[in-house]
Amino acid sequence: MNEQVEKIISAGIDIGTSTTKLVISELSLRNVAGGGQVPKIEITDKKILYRSPIFRTPLLSDTVIDIPAIHRLVENEYSYAGITMEHIQTGAVIITGETATKQNAEEMVHQLSQAAGEFLVAAAGPDLEGIIAAKGSGAYQHSIETRKTIANIDIGGGTANIAVYRTGILCGTCTLNIGGRLVEWEGKKMKVAPSIRKWLKSIGYSPFNADGAMIANEMAKVLSRFLADSFTKEDELLLVGKAPSWTGRIDGLMFSGGVSDCIYHEERVDKSFQDIGMMLATSIKENEELAAWEWEHPTETVRATVLGAGSHTTEISGATIEVNDSHLPIRNIPVYRLDFEGVLENGIERLKQSVQEAITIYDALQEGLNFAFYLTNLPYLSFRDIQLLVATFTEALKQKPDQQQPLIIVMDSDYGKVLGQTFMANRPEMPVICIDQTQVEHGDYLDIGRLLQTGVVPVVVKTLTFHN
Amino acid sequence: MGMNDPYNKEELDALKANTPARIGVGRAGTRPKTDSWLKFRFDHAAAVDAVYGEVSEILLKRLNLFKVKTRAGDKEVYLRRPDYGRKLSDEAKRMIEAKCIKNPTVQIIISDGLSAKAIEDNVEDVYLSFKQSLAGAKLDTGTPFYIEKGRVAVMDDIGEILRPKVIVLLIGERPGLVSAESLSAYICYKPCLGTIEAERMVISNIHKGGIPPVEAGAHLGTVIQKILKYQASGMSLVKKENEEEMSAESV
Repeated sequence: MNEQVEKIISAGIDIGTSTTKLVISELSLRNVAGGGQVPKIEITDKKILYRSPIFRTPLLSDTVIDIPAIHRLVENEYSYAGITMEHIQTGAVIITGETATKQNAEEMVHQLSQAAGEFLVAAAGPDLEGIIAAKGSGAYQHSIETRKTIANIDIGGGTANIAVYRTGILCGTCTLNIGGRLVEWEGKKMKVAPSIRKWLKSIGYSPFNADGAMIANEMAKVLSRFLADSFTKEDELLLVGKAPSWTGRIDGLMFSGGVSDCIYHEERVDKSFQDIGMMLATSIKENEELAAWEWEHPTETVRATVLGAGSHTTEISGATIEVNDSHLPIRNIPVYRLDFEGVLENGIERLKQSVQEAITIYDALQEGLNFAFYLTNLPYLSFRDIQLLVATFTEALKQKPDQQQPLIIVMDSDYGKVLGQTFMANRPEMPVICIDQTQVEHGDYLDIGRLLQTGVVPVVVKTLTFHN
Repeated sequence: MGMNDPYNKEELDALKANTPARIGVGRAGTRPKTDSWLKFRFDHAAAVDAVYGEVSEILLKRLNLFKVKTRAGDKEVYLRRPDYGRKLSDEAKRMIEAKCIKNPTVQIIISDGLSAKAIEDNVEDVYLSFKQSLAGAKLDTGTPFYIEKGRVAVMDDIGEILRPKVIVLLIGERPGLVSAESLSAYICYKPCLGTIEAERMVISNIHKGGIPPVEAGAHLGTVIQKILKYQASGMSLVKKENEEEMSAESV
C-alpha cells in the first residue's frame, strides 16, 4: 500500500593484519509485497556513500594495537564522510587475520563497538571473515546469477579465507596461513612469521635462508590442493582450524583481499610493502593447477571484507512482528534451537526440558544471561495451537532466574506477531521480542537493532555453523 | 507426475518451488498426462464446490454469530446479480438494528462471498487472533454477525445502521485453481452509502498456503490502529500518511 522507501546507514570497519579500512553505505528498505498483501520489507538497494583510503593498521608494537590511533582514524573518516556516529544504525566492526590475536584486540572491539555507533556488531573468527568477504567481493551474488559453485579466496596479510557458495548457498569455509605479510624484509633481512615456520621446515626449507619466490610458489600449490580437495599431511600445517567443509566440485574461483589487488590490478598497488604479497600474487597467477578453474572477476578486491561487513551483514526481519522497542538493540545473544519436527506436540512435550537445557548452556551460573529461542519446523498453527504453545512456554519460562528479562523468540515461519501478542496477553508484564522470517542456527549469535519506521528490525546473524 | 527426463532436474525443482502454478508437468504427445489432468479436474471441482457450498450452522454457533441475508435469494441469482449481494434484505436490517451495539469502534462482519470453504477453514483463526489483537490495543468491538451471499460493498448498508468507526469484513475470495479456500479482510473507515472503492483496503490471500490466518488476524489489529490514528482508510490513508511525512521532512 505504502510506496515509501526507508533508508538506513550502515558502517563497516575492517581492521586487518596489514591494513584498516572503512566503508559507509546506505541500505534502502522497501515494501515489495503487492497491494492487498501483508507487507514484505526487503533491502532493495545498497549504495556506497563513502570508501576510506587503505590505512596501515596502527600498532604500538608487534603484539599491541594502537587503540587511540584507531579511534582517531574512525572519527576522521566519519567526518570526511559527513556523518556522525548517531547516524549509524547497523553494520559491523571486524578484526581479521593476525590482528585478532593481538593482546588488546578484545578491548578494542569492545570500545569501538560502543564508540563507533548506536548499533555496531563486533565480530571476528576466520569462518565469518570468509563469508563476509565472499559477499563483499560479489562471489555470493555471482553464484546466484550464474547458478555455479564459486570459491571466494580472500587473501590478506595474514590469512587466506576461503568460502564456497553454490547458487547462493554456503557450502563451507576454510582458512589457511597464506598471506602477503607472512614473509617480510627489513633491508636484506628476511622475517618469517611463526605461523608458517613448521610448514616451511616440513617441506625442506629453513625459515632463515629460504627464497621468497619459492615460498610463494609453494603457497600457491597448497592453495590449489585445498581447493581440489587433494591436500597432503604437510599442507595441513597451514590450516587454521578445521579442514575444508564443502563437498563437490568448484566451478570458478574469485580472489579478493589485498593480495588480489596485485593479481588483478598490479598497476595501482602500493609497492611500499616490503613483503611477499606481490610474489604470492605472481605465483597464484602462474600456477597451472589454479589456471584450470574458471577465474571470475570480483566487483571488489582489497575492500571486499569491509564492504561485506558494512553492506551484507544486515538482514531484515519479517514485517509482522511484535517487539518491545525499549529493550532494543540487543547484542551477542546466543541462540537455542527448538525443532518441532513438524509436530506441535513434539515441541510442547520437550519445552520444559528445553528451557532448562538452554539455561544450563547459556546461563550456567544463573546470573540472568539472556538467550534467544529459535522455533523451527513449526507445523501449521491454529489459534488454539498458539494458545496451547504459549501457555506451556510461559510455564516453562518460570525456570529462568531473571523474570524481568525480555523473552526473545526468533522463527523462520510467519507467526511472529500473533505469538508475541499472545505472550503479551498471557504475561503483560514480560517484555517480548518476537521476530519471524529469520533463519538462524543453534549456537549462532544474534544482534537485533531498533524498530524501523517500516515496522521491521535489522538483524545480524553471526554464523558459526554451516547451512548445508 | 511431471516431466520424464528433465534436462536439469535441480533447476526445474528450484523453479517449481517458486510458484504454485502448474509448470514442468510434462506431457503425453500433445496432451497433459493423466495425473496432471486429474489434478486439474479435481482443483476445478473444488473451486465450484467452494462457490456453491454453505457455511455450517455449527461454525456460526461456535463463534456466536447470528445470520442475516442479502437481497440475493438463491445462488444463481447471487452469481448473476452482484448488486443484490451488496444490499441487505429488509429483515436483515431489522435484525441488525435490534441485536447489535451501536457506534462501536470496530465492527467485525463475516460473509461467505464466493467461497464458503474459505470461511469454514480459515475464518475462526483470523477472527480469534484479531479479537485478541484488538483487546491488546484496548479497542472495543460491536456485535459480530454473519451475512449469507454478501459482496464487499454490503458493509456500506451496515455502516448506515451501526455507524462504527471501522468495519472489517472477512469474506471468501473467488476461488482459483491453486486455492479454493482463500479469505480476504476488507477494511473501511466509516463506510456509508456513497463510499467509493478507493476508500476500502484489503488483506488478501489468507489461507494455509498463503498468509497464516492467525498472523493475518494479529496484523489486522495493527492496521486498524493506523486507520484510527489517521481517521482514514484506502487511498485517503496513503495520502494522509504521505502528507505527514512531507511535513516531517520540511521541519
